Amino acid sequence: MKVEFTPEQEALRTELRAYFDELMTPELRAEVDATPGEGGGELFWQAMDKLGKDGWIGVGWSKERGGRGMTAFEQMIFIEEVMRAGFPFPFLTTESVGPILADNASERMRDLLVPKILEGKLIMAIAYSEPGSGTDLASLTTTAIRDGDEWVIKGQKIFTSLAQHADYVWIAARTNQDPAVKKHKGISIFLVPTTAEGYDRTPIHTLGDVTTNATYYDNVRIPADHLVGELDAGWKLITSQLNRERLSLVNCGPVSQLLNETMQWADKNHYTNGKRVLDEPWVQMNLAKVRVGIEALKLMCYKQAWSITNDKLEMADASAAKVYGTEFFIEAYRLLAEVLGQVANEHLDSKGVQLRGRLEMMYRTASIITFGGGANEIQRDIISAAGLWMPRASR
Amino acid sequence: MDFSFSEQQQDVQNLARQILTEEVSAERQDVVDQQPDRFDKALWAKLAEAGLLGVSIAEKNGGMGFNFTELCFFIEEAGRTVAPIPVIPVLVSAALPIQQFGSVEQQRRLLQPLASGKTLITTAFMEPMGEDPATPLTQARPQGAGYVVNGVKTAVPLAHLSERVLISAKTDNGVVALMINPRAEGVTLVPLKVTSGEPQSEMRLENVLVATCDVLAGPEQGGELMTWAAQRTIVAYAAMQVGVSDKSMRMTASYTAERQQFGVPIATFQAVGHRAANCFIDVECLKLTAYQAASLLEADVDASTEVEIAKVWAGDVGHRVSFASQHLHGGIGIDKDYPLWRYCLWARHIELTLGSSASTLAKLGEKIAKGEAYVS
Ligand SMILES: Cc1cc2nc3c(=O)[nH]c(=O)nc-3n(C[C@H](O)[C@H](O)[C@H](O)COP(=O)(O)OP(=O)(O)OC[C@H]3O[C@@H](n4cnc5c(N)ncnc54)[C@H](O)[C@@H]3O)c2cc1C
Repeated sequence: MKVEFTPEQEALRTELRAYFDELMTPELRAEVDATPGEGGGELFWQAMDKLGKDGWIGVGWSKERGGRGMTAFEQMIFIEEVMRAGFPFPFLTTESVGPILADNASERMRDLLVPKILEGKLIMAIAYSEPGSGTDLASLTTTAIRDGDEWVIKGQKIFTSLAQHADYVWIAARTNQDPAVKKHKGISIFLVPTTAEGYDRTPIHTLGDVTTNATYYDNVRIPADHLVGELDAGWKLITSQLNRERLSLVNCGPVSQLLNETMQWADKNHYTNGKRVLDEPWVQMNLAKVRVGIEALKLMCYKQAWSITNDKLEMADASAAKVYGTEFFIEAYRLLAEVLGQVANEHLDSKGVQLRGRLEMMYRTASIITFGGGANEIQRDIISAAGLWMPRASR
Repeated sequence: MDFSFSEQQQDVQNLARQILTEEVSAERQDVVDQQPDRFDKALWAKLAEAGLLGVSIAEKNGGMGFNFTELCFFIEEAGRTVAPIPVIPVLVSAALPIQQFGSVEQQRRLLQPLASGKTLITTAFMEPMGEDPATPLTQARPQGAGYVVNGVKTAVPLAHLSERVLISAKTDNGVVALMINPRAEGVTLVPLKVTSGEPQSEMRLENVLVATCDVLAGPEQGGELMTWAAQRTIVAYAAMQVGVSDKSMRMTASYTAERQQFGVPIATFQAVGHRAANCFIDVECLKLTAYQAASLLEADVDASTEVEIAKVWAGDVGHRVSFASQHLHGGIGIDKDYPLWRYCLWARHIELTLGSSASTLAKLGEKIAKGEAYVS
C-alpha cells in the first residue's frame, strides 16, 4: 500500500487548484452562490464554455470519445478540485450520464449530443423518481408506448433536478407491462427534449435553497431513436449510472476545504475575553474529530477510485464509502458549526457572513445525500449481504 | 497510489494466518489460561521456526529482513486469533528500536536470540499516570559509563520471563533508553491482573545499576528513540485491532446468519444487519488509516498526525465493534465457552494502551492549534 499521489497526479491537482482559483472570479462566485449547486446563469455558461475549450470536460472519457482518456483516479482528483472551488460543475451530465450515453445511445443521438456535452453546452436532467417511486425505483409507472416511428411518454416525475436549464431529460419509463415480467426488467431509458410538446415542469423549492422540479409528460412524442440502449434493458444503465454518481457524492474536497477554512477562522478570531478561538480545548477537540474523520473518508475515496481504475471495485466497499461519507458530512458540519457558533446560522447573503456562508449552506443541505443516491438503509443492506454474507429478508 | 499489497506481504499474511489458525484453538486457549502466565511458549517456538518472529529483523541478525508492513500483517493475524503471545512488546516495541538505534554488538547479542525465540525482550513504556515514554518520571544518574535508575514502570508485559526490559528514564541532559535486567538487584516485579489476561507487572526500580552495554541510547538520542518506538507500537496495536475487530464482526455475521428467532435468521432483521454493516464501515476506516500510518512509517517520513489518527480509530472502532458484536450475539457473546469474549477484552486492552481516543484527539487538537494539521 502506498498512499502518495504520483508526481503527475500531484501536478494535476496543483494545476487544477490554480485553474479554479482563477476561474472563480468574485462575479462568478456571486452568481453561483445565489443559486447553490445549480448553475445556469450567464457567467456559469461562460465558465462551462471555457472548461470545454480547455479540455476539462470528460477527463475520464476515452480519447476516441473526445475525452482526456484519464483514469477514474484523475477524474476523482478533478471532481475534488471542482467541488472544493464551489463551481456547480454538472458532473452528472459529464461524468455519469455522459459516458453511458456515449456507449449506448443511437448513433444519431450520440453524434448530436456528445460533442455538445464535451463543449460544455448541454446539460441533462435525470428523471427516475416519481411521487410513488423513490427508494423502490423499479416500481415506477411512467410509460413509454411505441406508436409507429415514435415513442409516447406519459406520466409524472418528481425531483428532476436541473430540468430548469436542461436541454434533455434522461428518463426511465416502463416499456413492458406484462405482469409476468419482473418489475425491473420492463424499464427503458429515453431522451426527452425539454422543448417537446406535452412536456411541462413546475419548480420545487427545497430547504437548502436548491431548486428541483416536478416534471410532467402528457403524451410526449419522441422519435424512435431517442431510446437509449436496448428495449427493456434500462435497469442496467440506471445502476451503472448510479455507481458512477456515488463516488462524486462523498468526495472529500468540500469538507476538507471547510475544515481548513474553519481552522484559519479560529486562528484569526477571538472571543470577547480576548482568547483566540483556536485556544479553546473543546474547539481543538471538535476540529481534531473532523480531521480524523476526513482522513478515513479521503482514504476510502482514494481506494474506490483506485479500485475502479484497476477494475477491482467491491460492491460493499462502494456502499460503505457512501454511507460513511454522507453521515460523516453531517457530523463534520455540526462540529465545525459549533466552532463558528451563532454566525454559522448566518445565511450567505447576510451582513456578517463568515466562510462565505458555505458552512451554513452545507449543513442545511447535507441531509439530501443520506437518502438520495440510494438510501443509506439500502446501502447497509448491501454491505451486510455482499460484505458480510448475511442473509437478507425477502422483499 | 496503490492500495494493493505486495506478494511478499501477502505471503507473510498467509503464513501467519495458517500457523495461527491451526495452532490457536479454543481448547488450546483454555489450557494456556490455566497456566500461571497467558503465554503460549510452544506456539512462540513454532512461529520462530517459521521465521515469523524475525519478519522485520535484518538477515544479518537472523531475521527475514522484511519491512514494517509485513510485521503488521503478522500482528493483525495474531489479533484475529487473539493468540496468547507478546508480539507487540517484543517484536515491535523492543526489537525495532534495538535494530534501529542499537550498536552492532547490541544488535548481534540481543536480536538473534530474540528472532529464534530463545529469549524475550520486553518493553516498559508506561508509568503510573504517564503514557508517553519520551517524557518519563523515572530517573537515571550516570555512574561510570552506565547509569543508576530509580522509578516505577507499570503495565510491563511478561517482564518476569524476559531477558531485558527496555525503559526510558530522564537525566539532567535528556532522556535515555536503557535495557533493564529484571533479575538485577533493586528490581521488584509486582504481578498485575489486567482485563486482557496478559501477564503484566509493575516494575519498581531502586538504585538499579545498568551497565554500558545495556545503554541503548544516551541523552542525545533517547527521547527520539522513545517517540520512534511508541509510534510504531501504536500503529502495531492499530493493526492488531484490525484483526480483533474484523474477526469479531465476522463471527457476528456468521452467528446471526445461523441463529433463528421468530422462525427466521436474526440477520434478516434490518436492525441487526445494519448494525453489522456499521461495523464493516468502521473496520474499513480503521484498516485504511492503520495501514496508511504503517506505510508512511515504513517510508520513514514524518507521520505523527497519521499515527494519531490511526490510534483514534483503533480506540473507537475497537469499542464500537466489540459492543455491537456482544449485543448481536445476545447471551452467548459473553459466555466463556464461546470465543467472542476474548476479542472484546483485547479490543479494550488495545483501546487504552498508550493513550485513549480522547487523549489522542486532544494531542491532535493541540497540533491543529499550532497550524500543523491542515488537510492537503
Ligand atoms: C434535492 C433533491 C434532488 C433530487 N434529484 C433527483 C434527480 O435529479 N433525479 C431523480 O430521479 N431523483 C432525484 N431526487 C430523488 C431522490 O433520489 C429520492 O429522494 C430518493 O431516491 C429517496 O426516495 P424518496 O424521497 O421517495 O424516499 P422514500 O423512498 O419514501 O424513502 C424514505 C425513507 O424510508 C426509508 N426506506 C425506504 N425504503 C426502505 C427499505 N427498503 N429499507 C429501509 N428503509 C427504507 C429510508 O430511510 C428512506 O430514506 C432528488 C431528491 C432531492 C431531495
